[in-house]
Amino acid sequence: MTMTLLIARKEFTEMLRDGRFRGAGAIVFTLLAGALLLGWQNHRDVSAQHRVAQEATRAQWLNQGKKNPHSAAHYGVYAFKPQAPLSLVDHGTDPYTGVAVWLEAHKQNEFKYRPAQDATAVQRFGELTGATVLQLLAPLLIVLLTFNAFSGERELGTLRQLFSLGVSPAQLSSGKALGVAAALGLWLAPAAILGSMAIAAASGQGEVMASAPRMIGMALSYLLYFGAFTGISLAVSAWAPSSRAALMILLGFWMMNGLIAPRVASDLAKTWKPSPSAFDFGQQMQLALAKGSDGHDPGARAKALEAGLRKKYKVDKAEALPVNLLGVRLQDSEDHGNEVFDQSYAALWENFAQQNRIHQMVAWAAPGLAMRSISMGFAGTDFPQHTHFAKAAEDYRRMIQRTMNDELTYQAPNTGAPYLAGNDLWKKVPPFEYTAPGAGWVAEQQAPSLGIVGMWFVGSAFLAAWSARRVRVA
Amino acid sequence: MLLSLMKYEWRNLNADRTPLTITLLLGVALAYGAWNGSQWVSFQRSTIQSALQEETERLRGVRNEIPKVDAGEIKVSPFTDPRLPQALGRGPGARYAVMPPSALGALAVGQSDLYPYYFKVTTGSKQTFLNSDEIENPVHLLAGRFDLAFVLLYLFPLVILACSYDLVSAEKEGGTLALALSQPITLSALTMAKVLPRVALVMTLAVLLPFAGVVLGGADLAADGAVERLLFWMAVTVAYGSFWFALAVAVNALGRSSATNAMALAGLWLLFVVVIPSVLNVAVKVAYPVPSRVELIQATRVAGDAATRQGAQLLARYLEDHPEMAPAERGGIPDFGTVQVAVSEATERAVQPVLDRFDAQVAGQQRIVDRFRFLSPAIVAQSAFNDLAGASAQRYSHFLAQADEYHRQWRGYFVPRILRKVKLSAADLDQLPTFRYREEDLSDVAGRLQIALLGLLIPTLLVVFLGWRWLGRYPIAGA
Repeated sequence: MTMTLLIARKEFTEMLRDGRFRGAGAIVFTLLAGALLLGWQNHRDVSAQHRVAQEATRAQWLNQGKKNPHSAAHYGVYAFKPQAPLSLVDHGTDPYTGVAVWLEAHKQNEFKYRPAQDATAVQRFGELTGATVLQLLAPLLIVLLTFNAFSGERELGTLRQLFSLGVSPAQLSSGKALGVAAALGLWLAPAAILGSMAIAAASGQGEVMASAPRMIGMALSYLLYFGAFTGISLAVSAWAPSSRAALMILLGFWMMNGLIAPRVASDLAKTWKPSPSAFDFGQQMQLALAKGSDGHDPGARAKALEAGLRKKYKVDKAEALPVNLLGVRLQDSEDHGNEVFDQSYAALWENFAQQNRIHQMVAWAAPGLAMRSISMGFAGTDFPQHTHFAKAAEDYRRMIQRTMNDELTYQAPNTGAPYLAGNDLWKKVPPFEYTAPGAGWVAEQQAPSLGIVGMWFVGSAFLAAWSARRVRVA
Repeated sequence: MLLSLMKYEWRNLNADRTPLTITLLLGVALAYGAWNGSQWVSFQRSTIQSALQEETERLRGVRNEIPKVDAGEIKVSPFTDPRLPQALGRGPGARYAVMPPSALGALAVGQSDLYPYYFKVTTGSKQTFLNSDEIENPVHLLAGRFDLAFVLLYLFPLVILACSYDLVSAEKEGGTLALALSQPITLSALTMAKVLPRVALVMTLAVLLPFAGVVLGGADLAADGAVERLLFWMAVTVAYGSFWFALAVAVNALGRSSATNAMALAGLWLLFVVVIPSVLNVAVKVAYPVPSRVELIQATRVAGDAATRQGAQLLARYLEDHPEMAPAERGGIPDFGTVQVAVSEATERAVQPVLDRFDAQVAGQQRIVDRFRFLSPAIVAQSAFNDLAGASAQRYSHFLAQADEYHRQWRGYFVPRILRKVKLSAADLDQLPTFRYREEDLSDVAGRLQIALLGLLIPTLLVVFLGWRWLGRYPIAGA
């Protein structure tokens, strides 16, 4: 153990004295700190805008004046997607999903306005976020620090000397790994503290405790990921014929992992599990809405409904019903619509989930994909959490519809006379409150990806140990 | 001398199968990229086709419906009566404004997966139909596509660097440099002889394969300006590749070891392709922050509410401004359709300043990008590729402007008829305005492209000059 620590200390000191490491580390740290700072600023601005908008939409709903409840249902409210505090580290898919959805009668709308549409094409090179630095640049730094761990010693002739002193390969590789970890920690620890402070500042009151488990989950996953990269680098360094070859192989892996695999995975997913075009999706939904899930035309459906009510209340004329027929019909059409929306969106989201499972398959070869998914997950910016919010918003819409239709059904006269409701009714609809799922939910969602990163960590440690034992000394 | 050296260099390259490896690597990547791009284009084409088919069928349905409504065979409400312009123009009669993929669309997906390429234009306000976003797994939008532009921007430089990072250093490390220079040849000429075969091979592949891809992908080269665009594409590719070759030579000229060269070049690649673009992206967002679109939503809603409250007054004022549109019989309660016209126009007018503010911010971002893109050849090449493939934000704005104009025509047809309470006949359906997309003028694009080419060539020449200067001081022997 002391030998391992000795080696670690030597590596650490050597790296600190190396101007290249200091330079590269400083660049990575600056980018990371800058990304976090700007992420925090952006988060603060956008959250404030969303909060103001959410309050305004509520005020508009309450102050809409006297109206028929169904007019109010058409007027509706907007749900604005809140910004998760950790999104300042990883924007994830947020730039590519809409920010708001209109909750109106008869229709489950799509989220509108993807922030990326308000950016230049440079955005597509990738955003400078904490996640970019941690997923792309930090592994590169690890590669540059470790590619010649064994091959460099061999080329200098010091490897033979080391082994002649009785240092075991295991001690050597764990010492080197510890040294790299310590050197990286020197840059990452302050960045982590900075990041936690930013997240704490971004979390509203009482949210800090909710953010903490997510933050810990994210940090641990990144540590596993860095560990995996260190292990791979050490293994390749021990196994490759020369430092140059080791560097080439590792750069190739880094490139494949970070830049090629995400695109290839997307293309494969699109080819194997194609998504419908927005046009076809809309048409299908229209068709289903018009037909009715049971295939009857709406006229017949309405007649059947009326007949059912007459039978239920034992009256022979619609006018004699104790309930307002229009209200019942509207709710019936909502119920039918909800079935259609549930089916359509469930199918679409299942399609995306299948595509994401293909990404996961590719992640066995490129752990960066799994890390990306975990990071977005804990940041609260992945697609599952977008749908989590979308479902909450849709439930709220359905609640509004039911409240409005119930009012019509049981309060409005059945004479066809105009019926106006007011603030009392609007107040019956509670304000829209959304609670993001907890870290446990995320961990469950991300279990396969966490498994992949964990496997890579364990596998790379074994690989490093195995390669170190078989390393050629000259 | 140069020629025979080049011949030996080629033999050397062949001996370690470099040309084969490069051809395979770059060839497979380029072919795959081209295939991916053409998949996207055919997806867009088929979507457009279904939309147009839906439009034809819908209009045919309306045409058949009108006589039946006239005859009283079908009962309709004022909201669905296809003879009423306010009903027809809002839905059943709507037509699509479509921007087809450009001739070279398969070469780069660019921004085309982010912006809508068709709108269902109605008499409603712009905000109601300008959002027809394509469905796409957001993870895919985040990752980007493996299209030809990706291969050329990211992988092509890496192939260049991989085959030339040890151009001179390997000769020195192998001990052959001093030997070669004992012949009557300068180091610059030797470097030239070594780099040219590589340039020839890599450039040929990078230029010819996309060409083959375009032709096989069924691109319409007869389309206006398609051939010129393709030539521009090739020129940008060559200029971009030259930059990376020049960089490799210059780094070699510094006289460091092959390993150091590899590190330095990898670092430069990272700087130009990853770091500078992402830093620039952040910088423009700080300089011109675009607020969340929730502000637009709120502004629209507030304006809409205000307009609805004033509905009848707005209509009166509207008719004062447009007396020619006033209905024949005065007085009475204005119906829903007529009020709707005034309300939706008033809302649009009120929201316009907010929209303009968004546009101004994005335009400000674009201005900075245009100015500072020269910091990285990758950004210059990316914007040129997007322009050439018709996948740029500029082409989208061009389409948007036309759709806007069409929307005005559409309203120009319906609004007077709504106000005059005209009933439409089946024959009127043929008179509805139609949309025809006019492609960006090549001269507009050409201006941007010429600057782009200069933005690639000037840094290249600068690096070549530096390399040449440094080669003059190259330490032939010793470390």
